[in-house]
This record gives sequence, C-alpha cells and structure tokens, in this order.
Amino acid sequence: MPGQAANPPAWLGVSRLVAKRVLSALLTLLLVSVVIFVAASLLPGDAAQEVLGQSATAEQVAALRHEMGLDRPAVTRYADWLTSMLRGDPGWSYIAGMSVRDLIGTRLVNTLSLAGVTALVSVVLAMTIGLVSAINRGARLDRALNVVTLSLVAMPEFLIATVFVLIFSVKLVWLPSIAMISEEATWGETLRSCALPVACLAFVVTAQMARLTRAAVADELDRPYVEMARLKGVPLRRIVLFHIMPNAAGPVLNAMALSLSYLMGGALVIETIFSYPGLASLMVNAVTSRDMPLLQACAMVFCAAYLALILIADIVAILANPRLRA
Amino acid sequence: MPPAAPPPISRRLFVGGLAGTSALALGGCGPSQRRAPPGRGSIRVATQLSSTSDTLDPAKGATATDYTRHFMLYNGLTTIEDESLAAKPSLAQSIESTDRLNWFFDLRRGVRFHDGSELTSRDVVHSLLRHKDPATGSKLAKVAEQFGEVHADGKYGVRLRLTGPNADLPTILAQSHFLIVKAGQASPDGTGTGPFRLAEFQPGVRTVGLRNTEYWIEGRPRLERIEVIGIPDEVARVNALLSGDVQVINAISPHSIPRVEAEAGCAIMASPSSLYSDLIMRQDRLPTGNPHFVMAVKHLIDRPLINRAIYRNRSTIANDHPIAPFQKYFNAEIPQRTYDLDKARWHVRKGGLEGVRLPVYATPAANSSVDVASILQEYGSRAGLNFSVNRVPADGYWSNHWMRHPMTFGDTNPRPTADLIFSLFFDSGAEWNESAWKNERFDKLLVEARGATGEGLRTEMYGEMQQLVHDKCGLAIPVFISLIDGFDTRLKGMRPLPLGGFMGYRFAEHVWWED
Amino acid sequence: MRWAASLPLSGRIGLALVVFWLLVAIAGPMIAPYPVGRFVDQEVFSPLTGQFWLGSDYLGRDVLSRLIWGARYTVMLAAGAAALAVLAGTSVALFAAIRGGWIDEFISRAMDTLISIPSKIFSLVLVAAFGSSLPLLLLIAALIYIPGNYRIARALAVNLAEMDFVAVARARGEGALHIAWREILPNMIHPLLADMGLRFVFVVLLLSGLSFLGLGVQPPYADLGSLVRENISGLAQGSSAILSPALAIASLTVGANLLIDALKPGGGH
Repeated sequence: MPGQAANPPAWLGVSRLVAKRVLSALLTLLLVSVVIFVAASLLPGDAAQEVLGQSATAEQVAALRHEMGLDRPAVTRYADWLTSMLRGDPGWSYIAGMSVRDLIGTRLVNTLSLAGVTALVSVVLAMTIGLVSAINRGARLDRALNVVTLSLVAMPEFLIATVFVLIFSVKLVWLPSIAMISEEATWGETLRSCALPVACLAFVVTAQMARLTRAAVADELDRPYVEMARLKGVPLRRIVLFHIMPNAAGPVLNAMALSLSYLMGGALVIETIFSYPGLASLMVNAVTSRDMPLLQACAMVFCAAYLALILIADIVAILANPRLRA
Repeated sequence: MPPAAPPPISRRLFVGGLAGTSALALGGCGPSQRRAPPGRGSIRVATQLSSTSDTLDPAKGATATDYTRHFMLYNGLTTIEDESLAAKPSLAQSIESTDRLNWFFDLRRGVRFHDGSELTSRDVVHSLLRHKDPATGSKLAKVAEQFGEVHADGKYGVRLRLTGPNADLPTILAQSHFLIVKAGQASPDGTGTGPFRLAEFQPGVRTVGLRNTEYWIEGRPRLERIEVIGIPDEVARVNALLSGDVQVINAISPHSIPRVEAEAGCAIMASPSSLYSDLIMRQDRLPTGNPHFVMAVKHLIDRPLINRAIYRNRSTIANDHPIAPFQKYFNAEIPQRTYDLDKARWHVRKGGLEGVRLPVYATPAANSSVDVASILQEYGSRAGLNFSVNRVPADGYWSNHWMRHPMTFGDTNPRPTADLIFSLFFDSGAEWNESAWKNERFDKLLVEARGATGEGLRTEMYGEMQQLVHDKCGLAIPVFISLIDGFDTRLKGMRPLPLGGFMGYRFAEHVWWED
Repeated sequence: MRWAASLPLSGRIGLALVVFWLLVAIAGPMIAPYPVGRFVDQEVFSPLTGQFWLGSDYLGRDVLSRLIWGARYTVMLAAGAAALAVLAGTSVALFAAIRGGWIDEFISRAMDTLISIPSKIFSLVLVAAFGSSLPLLLLIAALIYIPGNYRIARALAVNLAEMDFVAVARARGEGALHIAWREILPNMIHPLLADMGLRFVFVVLLLSGLSFLGLGVQPPYADLGSLVRENISGLAQGSSAILSPALAIASLTVGANLLIDALKPGGGH
C-alpha cells in the first residue's frame, strides 16, 4: 500500500481534499450556470411574454422587456448576473417582484428540513436493511428484502404518495394530506404535517440506498480477509461492523450522497402532491415563467448541495478507512 | 451457496398489495371523521394553481387563485351577484348614460380603504387609466383601449367617455381586472375596500385574509378568516377536501365527482360556463383551408362520447359556435351537428382528402385537448384521415404552437358578453381570430350589433352570426365545460354562477359557516 | 436452455419475467384485443370481465390492450436509454481514466454539472425546448443517466488502471485503446451490468415522473408510468386500470434485476 510507510494525520489529507474540492466546486458551479443559461435561452418565449400572457400587446411586452432588462444582449445579461453573483447578490426575481434571496430563503429552509429529516430516517433504515440482507445473503430474508426494495425502487412516486394519503389522511384521518408550513404553526403541527411527505420520500430513497449498501457489503464479504477472520472464529456480525464497514464505507457513502442529493431536487413530485413549498417546485416555477435569476439561483443551490454531500461522503470515508488517508 | 428456496414473497406480496388497495375502495367516512377546520369561521381554500406569478394587482390577474384573492381584497364599480348576470352598482351608487358613449359614475360616500383613507374619484380614475399604460401589464389592456377619457368630477364623481358606444360597460367593469385600487399605487399592495384585509401574502404559497370589520356592506363578510393555497395535483386536491384539510376546492375532474359525492358532508357545485376548448383548423393553411376538410372534421366529432367519456356527462354539448345555450342571444334554431361518418366520408372524397396525414397539436394547457385529440385520431381513421396526436408541454404552448400549425387547440375562458367573444376571437381582423377565417357578412353584423338599439334586432343579428360561425368558421367546438367545485357542506351559501368556479370567484364575501 | 437451467432459481424467475415482457413488447401488439385508442366501454373503470380481461380505463378504453402497448414503450425506452447511458458513460469514463490530468478533471466536472441539475427539471427544459419525439425522449433519458454511470465506471477504471497487469501492458507499448478495451473493460463488466439494471429502473421511474409533468410518449400510446398516472383517479376504488400497470412495472424491474444479479460471478452456483 502506498502511503503506509509514514501514515500522515487524517486532518492533513482531509484539508488537502477540501481545498482541492472547493476549487473544483467553483469550476462546477460556473459550468452549471452556463449550462442553465444556455438551456433556458433555448426555451421559447421570455419572462415578459410569460408574465403578460396570451393577451399581451406588443407595446406591453416591449415595455416590460425594457424594465426587466431583457432587451440587452444575452452575453451582457449573463455577465451582469455573474458579477453580482460574485458579490454575493443573486439578484431580483423578474416575476415575483422580490429579491431572489428572500424568495429562496424560506423555501431553502423548508427543503433542507424535509431532506434532513428524510435523510435521518432513510439512512438508518437503509443501513439496517442493507446490512441485514448482506449478512443473510442468499437466505429467505435477503430474497424477500431484495424483491420488496426492487419493486419499490421503480414505483412511481405519485402512486406511493397517493396511496399513503388515501390510507392515512382520507381513510384513517391520522395525518394531514397537505403539508401546511406556516410561522404560526407549532412544532408538533409542522412535524405532523410533514410526516407523509417524509414517509414517501424515505420510501423511495431507502430502497435505493439499501440495495447499494447490500451490494457494497456483499462485495467485501467475498474478500480473502473476511475468509481469514471467519476461520479465526470471529462472529459474522463483528466482521461486518468492524472490518467490512470501514472498507465498504467509500462506495456506500458515495451512493448515499447521491441518493440524498436527490432529496433536494428530486422531491418535485412529493412537493407538488403535498403542496409543500420547497425549492424543486420553485425551480419548475422559474422554468415555466422564464425567471432567469431565480432559475440560476435554484440551480446553484442544488449544485452546491450535491457537491457538499459528495465532499462530506469522501471525508467520512477517509476518516473511517485509514488506508485512504494517503 | 445453498440451493435456492422457492421465493416466498413475490406472489403473496402482489396479492397483498391488491387487497390492500381495494380496501381503500370501501366507502367514504362520515363527516365526524374529517378533520375540523382551522378555526371558528375560518376556512382554507385550495385552487389548482399557485406560483411566483401570483399577484396582488387586479390588472395582472391571470388565474382562478388571483381572481379569488382580488375579490377578497377589492371592490369594483359594479358587481355581478346572481344568475341573471346583470351588473349592479357597487362602489358606484349610480351609473348614468344616455348615449352609451358618455358615462357618469356617482361614488358611494364614506367607503374606506383598509388603511382608513376614504375612497374618492381619484382612486377610480387611477384604477381605470392604469390599464392603458403598457408598463402596468394589464391583462385587459385591449378592452381598456375603449376608455377614451376618464376624469374626476368633484370628489365623488367620475366621467368616462368611450371611443364608441357600448351598452355592456357596466358588465365589463364588474370583472376582477377593473377592481378599484388606491390612487398613487403603481403596483397595488392589497389595500382595497374589500371584505377581507390582507394578513399574509406569499406568492406561490398562500394568501391569508382576515375579516374587514369595517366593511361598508352591513353584515358582510360572515367568515373570520380565509386562507387560499394551491394544490396543483387534482387527486391530491380532492383528497385534501375529503380528509377535511381544506373546505373548498376548485377544478375537480369529472372522474372524481363520485368520490366527493360518496362522502357525507362534502358536496359538488357544478357551474355551467361558456368555457370551451376548441379545435382550430387554420384557413390559411392546407389541407385545413379546404372547406371539405373542415366539414369532414366537424362531422367526425362524437360530442356525446366526449361528454360521456371525458366529462362524465357534466358538460354542455356545443354546436360549433361560442354561445352557450344559457347565454343571452343563444340561437336555438341552428340544428345540432352530430357525428355522421357518411357525411364525413363524402366530404373527404369530395375534397380529395383520402389518406391525408396531419399532426394535431394538443396540450395539457387546453382543457382535455389531449383526450379530444385521441378521440379525433381514432374517428379520423374511419373516414380515411390519418391524424397523429402531438402532445406538447403546457409550457410555452400559447406562444409557440397555438394557431401556428394547421391544427391546434385553443382554450377560451367565459367572456361576459357576446360582443366581447365575437370581437376578440371571430372578427377577421382580430389578433386571436384563431382559424384565420374571413367573412364579410359577419364582420359587418358585428359592428352593427354594437350600435343596434332594439333587443330584438340584436338577438337576430347575434343569431345570424352564430349560424355563420357554425357553417363556415374553421373551428370545431365540441362542448362547453362546466366548472366543478367541491366544498364542505357546513359551508353555506354556495351557489353556481356561470362566470366561473367559486361563484364567479366572488364566494368569499357571501358564504358562512354552520357547524 | 442449459444456460438457463444453470441459473439459480431467482435468476430463472428473473429470466422468465424478462422473456415474458420482451415477448409482450415484441409480439403483444399483434395479440392486443382492441386498438390502443379505441373507446370500447360505455362505462369507465370497469372491473375485470370476459370482454375486457383487465377492465377499462378512465375513458372506457381496454386496459389490457393499453398495457401491452405500454409495456412495449417502457421496455424499449428503458432498455435503450439504459444501454445508451452505460455505453456512453463507460466510454467517456475509460477515456478520462486513461488520459488522466486536466482532461479527466474537466470531464468529471462536466459530469458533476449534469448530475447536479435535478433530472425531472432538466428534462422539462429539454422537452420544452426540443419537443418530445420518441428518439428525443430516448436521448434525454440516456443523457440524464450518463453521469451516474460515468462516476461508477471511472472509479472502477481508475482502480484497475493502477493494477500490475495494466502497467505490464503499458510497458509492452500497447495503445490506449487496447488497454481500455482488452485490459480494463473485461474486468469491470459485471459491476457495469448491475449498474445498467439500476439505470433501467431509473429510466422507468423517470418516464413516470415525466408523465406527472405531462410529458412523455405521445398519446394515444403511453408508457407504463403514464398509464398509472392517467388512471390515478381510479386508485381510491382499487381499479385494475391503475393496479395492473403498477404490477407490470414491479415485475419488469424485479425480473430484470434478478436476472442481472444471477449473472454475477459466483451467483450461478
């Protein structure tokens, strides 16, 4: 193993990694903004037309375009956006007539709390299911979990959500069918009204993560060192927890980071069905109303969240597995 | 690895899944089981659309959500409150005109805005004239073009001179776009004279209105608080009503009606309206410009099937012209056009149209157009016309596809008068002359009818115009679509108005709650 | 046949399901009892009858016929897009892994870019910009899942590229193409297959997500996800119009993945 001769302290590897990642994250964010800008300019119509609708007169459109600054060349608009973004100002929404920062602020909190709670629930569940299946590889339990997770992974989210609502809201009247997030709501109310969205999202990602966890752990089970440990009489549970997990941490965490980043932008269907004011529906809103500053800001947030999750996954993997610290 | 045991799960799982879901079908639950409303005299309303384009500016209103919000906060000079659809004075206590050209509005005294200031002629002049400023972005800028001069006459008088006579002005002013906002506000902030004060407004999330305790109409409103939210998914909206999380919803699909009706404590309110989704055949393109093509298609439309399959018998069958049977000036003399395969085939043959291939552009943006297009495709193949359905996203449909291909769908909201609908969509010079048809007789009648004095004469003229559209225009109008709302039956006073759902979006002021 | 018999039972079940759905996709339209868009039932959401084996849908069309066509679109699109995504993703990954340096860095960042834009929103933009023909739908679905496959393939390839046998090959003076094709690729085929199974599932999921946004296969045809979506109002009454496409999706994805799992080395004993 390279680097085993002089094991450098963990923080050194980590800080080097972070520094490198922050640099490449900036490049990625820049690329995202360019892709979004180009893709959105391929869309028919612009914000002025969308605001004014079918009934607009040419005069109105021209006036509004001028007010929004849409009559300037595309490159100028992008450059302006970029410079103000570098100063930390995401700009002013064309449509809602308020600053993008305010518009995104509350939604970001909503999305982060939904994703956070869901992540907590689903990571625990997924690890348990994945480990249990891997340990009982080939047994009935494993096969059963395999079929269940597989059938769930591909089930349309709107079907799962609607079934949940029918059972828990309409039939049993236990939980609200819509997420009512407001400032006057108490913590208990907020938690209750988020229960179904969290459950639906957790359903989807848990199945994915459990499968990936099982696959990664099962791969390690075939390694010679596991054979050795078993011959020495170490119980399988111990092997899995203390020998396999550190080694499987890399791929497992990576897969989890991917699934969790889905909780932010992929929650679109869940947000729509539960009328949950989150970022994904805001971004769709920005697309359909051609609200470029808002669209860009949403894309930046999603991209940053994704990069941060991947980075965290890598750091944890390094800390968990001494061999990776080189 | 040990030999594999038979998988114990798959079959049982699937059967279990089936049984589980069918259990859901076992009847609804009683009203006692539904959740209580958010507070005394407080209701939550869910509409199908809510986005960052939600606005407090009546001039910019574009959705049911906007109209509902605006009628909560503001009043108009006139108002429509009953099935007669006659406009009655509201903020104007009297309206005078001798020649239908010069109008005088005498404002009600002592009406106060939510901030305490008194309503004066300045506010009214500002509210009307701002529609003519392109910067306002008014949705009715075209209609407002006929406001020639508007000026104040004293503190409580307003004089309006139209560019041409129009007897329908009071009806036009009752629309939500012409609600009265405060003078000096370029973009209104919700301060109106209306029955509810704005307590919270978050575009795309919610609007909360609290009872205006100093409302100028005695005894109104009777609700303490209204919260308006958007639930875009139809099934989710219905579920929210059934579980008691909201008390009123709009835009129910006819397929969900049985579910709502099965629930004790919930009811349906179907408002017949003149809303229609029409198949456009451009007269300046081929083969749609061929009169035989138009006639063939008009005879291929199985209206009872559309009414039954798509609208579950809740729509009103239309006759290829835009005036609904319950509207003023409806011409009942025109024979109903029906599905007639022989006639369609004859036209196809006569027009040399056998084997024509043509895409039909349909979109979720136009009511049920995707399903209607599928029906047309199916029936077209029987007459030798090969249609293909081209479903395009709602996003960008109106600017990109509508009227731009030989066959597309339009979606026309109810307009208060026959003149308005004909001038906007059928006048050969109109920007939205959807099929690009030209009929000199029609154009002549349209102008003459505006100035015509006797009602009998107008009826006759509008009747002939309907006949012309029915015979010659490149539009197929299969049905008029009813707007279906659902509500908790503890909410009293709901009744349909053919202007739109939610009692023409005006329900907030009129309804009350009884436990 | 002998090969099929060598599979474990789960693999044989998977194979049976996959073959079944392939047959349905290929030959189904010939045996469909009614044309896909025909209105055959006066009622809607009819239960199973002798005339309509799987009942009728929300407009009174035959569910069985629509299901058969739906299976064809889902199988074709999902398999096509998954294969395309894996092909493209892996090729680029091999290229990046062997070249290394700034090319690798740039490609990886570009892939990060694609992966970080929420897939449904990205496809909404693409469909709104370019329309939704079948080939385009296939390309969009493939494009969305290339980065995911790229990440996995690159990680595998980078590991393999440091192995001794690759160093030996390099020392022999073999070209990059030879190393990628003959030395690295054969050693990563199984994880890649498993990944393709996963991508297949994701495309099925994406298609139903698109139907939620009103995009996707052109009517009167529909993929399985769209069938679930268009009949969603029948869910409360447990209509077969919604249950049968849901079961079809489950059995299709379970089948494909059981089969792929069984193909793994060591899975066949």
